[in-house]
Amino acid sequence: MKLWDPESKGFRLCSDHFISANPVASAMGKSKQTGNHKSDKKKNISKKWKLKRRTKDLDQIHSDMKPETAAKLLHQEVDYDMTGCAQHYCLHCARYFVDLRALKEHFKTKGHKKRLKQLREEPYTQAEAERAAGMGSYIPPKSVEVKTQPVEEDMD
Amino acid sequence: MRIEKCYFCSGPVYPGHGVMFVRNDCKMFRFCRSKCKKNFTKKRNPRKTRWTKAFRKSAGKELTVDNSLEFEKRRNIPVKYNRGIWDKTVEAMKRVEEIKQKRQARFIMNRLKKGKQLEKEEAINEVKKNIHLIKAPHAGKAKQMEDKMVQKLQEDVEMEDDDI
Repeated sequence: MKLWDPESKGFRLCSDHFISANPVASAMGKSKQTGNHKSDKKKNISKKWKLKRRTKDLDQIHSDMKPETAAKLLHQEVDYDMTGCAQHYCLHCARYFVDLRALKEHFKTKGHKKRLKQLREEPYTQAEAERAAGMGSYIPPKSVEVKTQPVEEDMD
Repeated sequence: MRIEKCYFCSGPVYPGHGVMFVRNDCKMFRFCRSKCKKNFTKKRNPRKTRWTKAFRKSAGKELTVDNSLEFEKRRNIPVKYNRGIWDKTVEAMKRVEEIKQKRQARFIMNRLKKGKQLEKEEAINEVKKNIHLIKAPHAGKAKQMEDKMVQKLQEDVEMEDDDI
């Protein structure tokens, strides 16, 4: 088998794997696929997008990340209706966890890291949409430092 | 009455068109069509969605910083109607639009020049690398060698003649 395929400009490793030498294709980034048809993520997309199930948007989380609101959210009163009595909250993913262990496990997950990465960019606003439409010069978004919230260890 | 801008694609939203979504924190989002609203509910990022204006601007596909972009503004001060001002404004708008179009077109043409240049370099490189496909390395050399041999033989013969 030929290793170098001149037609498509890339290295053919075997019948399934192919390394593309095309710079444009490699700059397009990873594919957005998050699983096959069997995965739970794709089973009920329409339900997930229902307005009543709407989760917080990135700009809301950005405003949550301000020190005062962040302190309030991280030290909530005991509420028996909430998951884990609202004591273990992930600020960036806007999720409640049953206990500290689950919260810590969550910090290690791909979803959480992905969320941090998304939050590192300034949130999109209507003002930016207007600037993009030609109302004023376009200002590129700033990057923001975002880190996982510190976890205080309970010693008792 | 205002022509608003779509939150997602930055297109114009004329009165009586599009949808407005009011989030539970009272923030308003206007969309020009259901396509934009759907993408918003799917939590897509307009900066990463290829067909939006925000993407084109942030990726450097279009003119971003220019004085011609500074005319269109949201002005919250009402101006009393005056026929002279009205006429002048309309004239100015046409002229500004003309200049803007020209500059944007020029920007895109300049941007595309880079690709043309790279394409050319790539083509030259390819020819250089694969020159053996166009011309065999020893093509035409056989005849040269033959000529050389003939010449040498003749010289040798002459030398022998001289010796005798």
